[in-house]
Amino acid sequence: MREIILTWFISLCFIKSVFALDVNFEKDSKLPLVYLNVVIKTGAVDDPRGKSGLTYFLGQMLLRGTKSESKEQIDLALDQMGAVLEVETRAEALILRGSVLSSKLSEFLKLLKSILTQPTFHEREIKKLKSEVISKILEELSSDRTLVLRRATKFLFQDHPYGKPILGITKEVETFSTEDIFSHYNKHINHGKMSIIGAGDTDLSIIDTWAKGFRNSIKESGNSFLVFKPKDIVTKKFYFIDKPDRTQTQIYGGQIGILMTDKNYFPLYLANYAFGGPSFTTKMMEEIRVKRGWSYGANSFFRMGKQPRSWQFNLYPKIKDAPDALVYTLNMIKDFREKGLTPEEFERTQKSIINNSGFMFNTPQKRVENLLLEKTLDLPSGFMTRYREEVSKLTLNQVNQAIKNFLKPDQLVVTVLGTAKDLKEPIVKALGISENEMQVIPYTQE
Amino acid sequence: MCITKLFSSFLVLLFFGCSQPVIKKESSNAPQKLPLVGSLQVYKYKFSNGLKLLVLEDHSSPTFAYQTWYGVGSRDEVKGHTGLAHLFEHMMFKGTKNHKEGEFFKLMKAVGSEGENAFTSKDYTAYVQELPKEHLEFIAQLESDRMQNLIVDDAAFTTEREVVQNERRFSYENNPDGLMYQEIFGLAFTEHSYHWPTIGYEEDLSRMAATEASQFYKNFYAPNKATIIVTGDIKHDEVYNIIKKHYEKIQTSETLNIQQARESTQTTPRRKIVKFNIQIEKLYMGYPVPEILHEDIPALQVLGEILAGGKSSRLYRALVNTGVSSDLESGVLENTEPSLFLITTNLQKNKKAAFAESIILREIQRLIQEPIAQKEHEKVQNRMSFAFYEGLSHNSSLARFLGKYEVISGNFEEGVKLFQKSLVVNAEDIKKAAKKYLIPDHRSVIIGVMK
Repeated sequence: MREIILTWFISLCFIKSVFALDVNFEKDSKLPLVYLNVVIKTGAVDDPRGKSGLTYFLGQMLLRGTKSESKEQIDLALDQMGAVLEVETRAEALILRGSVLSSKLSEFLKLLKSILTQPTFHEREIKKLKSEVISKILEELSSDRTLVLRRATKFLFQDHPYGKPILGITKEVETFSTEDIFSHYNKHINHGKMSIIGAGDTDLSIIDTWAKGFRNSIKESGNSFLVFKPKDIVTKKFYFIDKPDRTQTQIYGGQIGILMTDKNYFPLYLANYAFGGPSFTTKMMEEIRVKRGWSYGANSFFRMGKQPRSWQFNLYPKIKDAPDALVYTLNMIKDFREKGLTPEEFERTQKSIINNSGFMFNTPQKRVENLLLEKTLDLPSGFMTRYREEVSKLTLNQVNQAIKNFLKPDQLVVTVLGTAKDLKEPIVKALGISENEMQVIPYTQE
Repeated sequence: MCITKLFSSFLVLLFFGCSQPVIKKESSNAPQKLPLVGSLQVYKYKFSNGLKLLVLEDHSSPTFAYQTWYGVGSRDEVKGHTGLAHLFEHMMFKGTKNHKEGEFFKLMKAVGSEGENAFTSKDYTAYVQELPKEHLEFIAQLESDRMQNLIVDDAAFTTEREVVQNERRFSYENNPDGLMYQEIFGLAFTEHSYHWPTIGYEEDLSRMAATEASQFYKNFYAPNKATIIVTGDIKHDEVYNIIKKHYEKIQTSETLNIQQARESTQTTPRRKIVKFNIQIEKLYMGYPVPEILHEDIPALQVLGEILAGGKSSRLYRALVNTGVSSDLESGVLENTEPSLFLITTNLQKNKKAAFAESIILREIQRLIQEPIAQKEHEKVQNRMSFAFYEGLSHNSSLARFLGKYEVISGNFEEGVKLFQKSLVVNAEDIKKAAKKYLIPDHRSVIIGVMK
């Protein structure tokens, strides 16, 4: 039965345009909607030195005026069509995400072309956007969850481009000029870096004709900054983000990750699935939530990039439990590296991944997201449909060997958000480190 | 004494434990076949024990969503015991007479389930998952088992209570938006159970005992309080037979009418300033509005869109485009009983929430006094059409749509009607709704400021 399901899904593949611009579209007429993504292979890693947040800013500025439409006119036109057009910025991708009633598609495509090919980056809009983005950064710093993720990423990657916050740093955002934005646009918005990926109630030929129509209005190709491989941290590092009045901590830890094309990726995917992956049956959930009630959530996950990015874990115990929960988690990681999975755990996890694999591509939207990931991370075509096959081939020995080679319990970067006067001392004591080994940073610091 | 809804408007106290006999009818395998949208049809069955079943066939992928919606939420709690509905939702993943603790998730993962989870709101609790098509009987067996055989023991309860307290710290105590949300309901509702947050108050959670959870289970987790929704690659008659096999013998519970106190009309604005460790101010405004089935809800939905639907909306232009706010949301909350029309916004750096409030009041007044252009009206209709269709795009969202409206309004078709009615609301209806409900003296305002 599983074979039938998988074959069925794989037969629903995208139709690809024969023209030079990379266009991929899956027809799906169940509802009168069209989803369209313009994916550009640039992202926060391409932010120039001293201009952190420029790629995000450029993405937002695209929606703020063209040679023929003001920001207000763009907003009104989109709303009148019942359309949504947003720009998502990732470390290595800038994605214009559009969705529209199929009856309004032609108007939408016309506007989208104008947005991509004729932006104006008007001074007045730059000023307004700066104020909005700075407020969003302050909002990010105000929320424990987003603050700790932002800082933990920075602590792990230090000066590597993967450590850059997507929204940027307020002081640097304040310096953005029209020239900066035009220069960034000219460098990165070109069809050598562009893919169009969509699904919905229309035909590929319509999207294709549209793409052909603007292909000559943008540059052929531009310079690409090659991200170098991030370095492992030499020894374990501890950071404490000090925020007053916390009744709970946020703990993030991690190390440099792995490439999806690495031979150890699938063994480690299985290993992480068992350790702290997306289910209630993982080791972390079992030990930290179910048995001890320490934290509502306890997870581990990979973040993927064109270079090895990160493997991280998180939990959020209350103040009193934080020292024990942190020490316990670090010991779990150490133990996991030494002992790996038991045969029963391996078999159970492997079966679960195989049986669940159809859900990785059972809707047009998921298939769009998979293709988008393949394009932005330069993965081989069809990579995202190979999980079942690859996981089926794994052996317990392979997985445990991969865990041993990959996990570096002595080189983790651990970030704790809490109230330092209540918690720093107990944490330092529980970890058996000196006061100086845990750097305290105020929560307001970017 | 049995208090019926007819007199409930005079009550200020909660009543608990009024039972009515359940009228037994024969199950029928002849379903009602009801249109949803386009070619989508819903088969609706009702069993003799009161259980409802909605099935929607969609063979576009060899999977299905299976959801169980119980018509119980924090609305059904009483003062001093807040958070019980949600804490109990957690307990449903513990052991039963047939499956020891932890087995539920292990069995689900083994067959390749997806998105197994649950959520509790003010009006309902839902248990959701998706599965490959061949596992319909498997999930029916598991879900029917925990509907009747759950074991609520002290040890499991104590650990899970700690987890929920942690969830509360995560989503409320240490989260400014969570606290703002708690505070706006706390301020706007003084008598009704919508006053308290679904997660409950810490002091109530800390003294809650396993015996309360057991009683809650007996009262509310029964077929006559439940609706099962199955959407996807299944056949409606096969689903009916499997559900009949696993659920039909489950006993009904006595109908428990928890009569909620009705809010008296608010006559003056209410305000509260809350201090947080934040760097920008926040504003939440709430106006009392009627329940989901009220005839004014479609106009209020359109009103929410006109005010804050999209970047060309009135409040977005007045607040974000002018540099006062960085984002905003507004809309009518869909609840079984009278609820709130909510407007929320995060301010920009150095901007004051009170200033944003004055702009909002001005825009509402302008909307009442000035004509609404036809184009603006059409824009809202297109946006609402888009949102409606998008909400039906896959098995689990379809099931969620059916479950939500079946539970909060008694019939999923009300959700479709609401959408259809919202498309024919005219400019006068919108202005009337604004005038009737967005009354300055009726507003409750929470302002979040820096400590």
